[in-house]
Amino acid sequence: MDIDLTQPKMGFFTDVTLCIGCKACEVACKQWNQLPSDGYALSGNSYDNTNRLSSTTWRHVAFVEQMDRETPAASRWMMMSDVCKHCTNAGCFEACPTGAIVRNEFDDVYVQPDICNGCGYCVPSCPFGVVAVQPKAGVAQKCTLCYDRQKDGLEPACAKSCPTDSITFGPVDELRAKAQARVEALRERGTEVRLYGVDGEETKDVGPLNAFFLIPDRPEVFNLPPKPVLPSRFQPAAYTAGLAAALAMALVGAAVFRPSRERA
Amino acid sequence: METTAGSGQPHGVAFGASGNFSPDAVAASLARGDGGFGRAQETYYDHPILRKAHWRWEIVGYFFVGGASAGSAALASFASQSDDPGDRRLVRNARYTALIGSALSGALLVKDLGRPERFLNMLRIVKLKSPMSVGVYALSSFSTVAGIEAVRQARADGVVPVDPFGWIPPALIAPVKAISTALMASYTGVLISATAIPVWYRGRRHIPAIFVLSGVAAGAALQNVLLALTGPPTATSRKLEIVETVAALAEAALLLHYERAAGEAGNALFAGPRGSKLKTWTLGVGTALPLLLSLPSLVRPGAHNKPHRVRTLLTAACALAGGYVLREAMVYAGRDSADDPRAYLRHPE
Repeated sequence: MDIDLTQPKMGFFTDVTLCIGCKACEVACKQWNQLPSDGYALSGNSYDNTNRLSSTTWRHVAFVEQMDRETPAASRWMMMSDVCKHCTNAGCFEACPTGAIVRNEFDDVYVQPDICNGCGYCVPSCPFGVVAVQPKAGVAQKCTLCYDRQKDGLEPACAKSCPTDSITFGPVDELRAKAQARVEALRERGTEVRLYGVDGEETKDVGPLNAFFLIPDRPEVFNLPPKPVLPSRFQPAAYTAGLAAALAMALVGAAVFRPSRERA
Repeated sequence: METTAGSGQPHGVAFGASGNFSPDAVAASLARGDGGFGRAQETYYDHPILRKAHWRWEIVGYFFVGGASAGSAALASFASQSDDPGDRRLVRNARYTALIGSALSGALLVKDLGRPERFLNMLRIVKLKSPMSVGVYALSSFSTVAGIEAVRQARADGVVPVDPFGWIPPALIAPVKAISTALMASYTGVLISATAIPVWYRGRRHIPAIFVLSGVAAGAALQNVLLALTGPPTATSRKLEIVETVAALAEAALLLHYERAAGEAGNALFAGPRGSKLKTWTLGVGTALPLLLSLPSLVRPGAHNKPHRVRTLLTAACALAGGYVLREAMVYAGRDSADDPRAYLRHPE
């Protein structure tokens, strides 16, 4: 098949200030991708009974309640639809020993279910805690950015279902321009917001995110790491330590077992 | 500023504020410098940010068996230089151990993956960036060399009539063996160090070395058990005890340094019941006790201090138990560290 070199990077821009917490994205994602339910347990944490992304939940709406008893008017309630970040330098992609995790033609990080062997190494290698092994399927699963829909020229199910356009889908460059304009518009109106995943501290290791966010508070409030680490960065030190110890023990072993009449 | 909270901003006042809205109140709240809100939130309901690996006893067992096999194979290489009859016995035992150990390693990995053919998925590509891929080839080449050497040993022992690998020159096997054994002993440490899990990546300068030393100590202990079980004690037992003691002491020193260097991020491994168990078994039973038991024969290797079978078995059993607890604590600490969002928030690299 020919490679379309004009195909731009495709991604999500999720605007927290527009989210109304309807969870249509969660439901649409589950329906389109035929993901099983997660049960009916109540978490007690606001309206969030999903709790987090998982192997069978590829969109998760977080509910952040900031209640201020002294000045109730300053209270606010924020919702954020979380998703796989589709990192430029993806920890899961680097860790995968089978080549099951690839970057597809839309520059999205995709797990090929027929190649994945369920080793689970991508799981602790994801700096955002997104990818997970589904125990019954025995393979790693996460947001595909609706690869199948994109192939047919459709937008992902979550973006399609979002009634407020808090989730928008499109070429990442266009989304960034749009997001920047939105930040400026909100700042003009006095609301302090920032983009997460475009050029901040969080992109130092993992690079710009193809699924990025507009957030009105610190990242950790939404369970986003302020400084996600890229695990492969730790390899040089780790290999050095291991091989240095191996060399040292080889010297000890050779010395102890050196052939000599006196010892034998 | 004060117009933000209620004037059509989508994220504005939404809850519990009816009738209480006041621009001044918002301004006052913002002026407190807590982001505008009385209760500063550090985490999202303390939910984990990271996700833990599903690894259980199979992987703990693999880390332990793989390390001890690599340690045994390395000892066989050193001892093969010597003509001492005890050393010859060690070489023979260690060669068979390496083959059995690598077969057991493969079986444990397959058990973790679920189906045997899933192992083959990892052989479809070579990926130096992934320690798991590097490890698969380390294990595969280590097993191959272990198999060739075991067959040669069996030929020398008269168990098999011919050596089907006779055509492979030793000059080709030696470097493959050296590299695959070193990687086999160290890569599992690299594997867990190169993740996003704080307790693991904080130990990236320690864990791979600790695993190598623990593997050598376990290999030496295992070989001492086999020597004691298969014949009379010899000077080889003492040599193995020296290697084991050096490795165990270096391992204990690195473990303590790791604890200091990791600080709070090391709590998942060093604090609480897991930390107590690690210190009791790996440092106490696995290091200090064997040292005390073998000290007399190490310091004064005279006739009255000849290696004693029961003492040797006891020493080796303690070292092996300490080695297993180390691997177990290391793997399970990663689970707790992943579940603690504060470890990741407070200790970024």
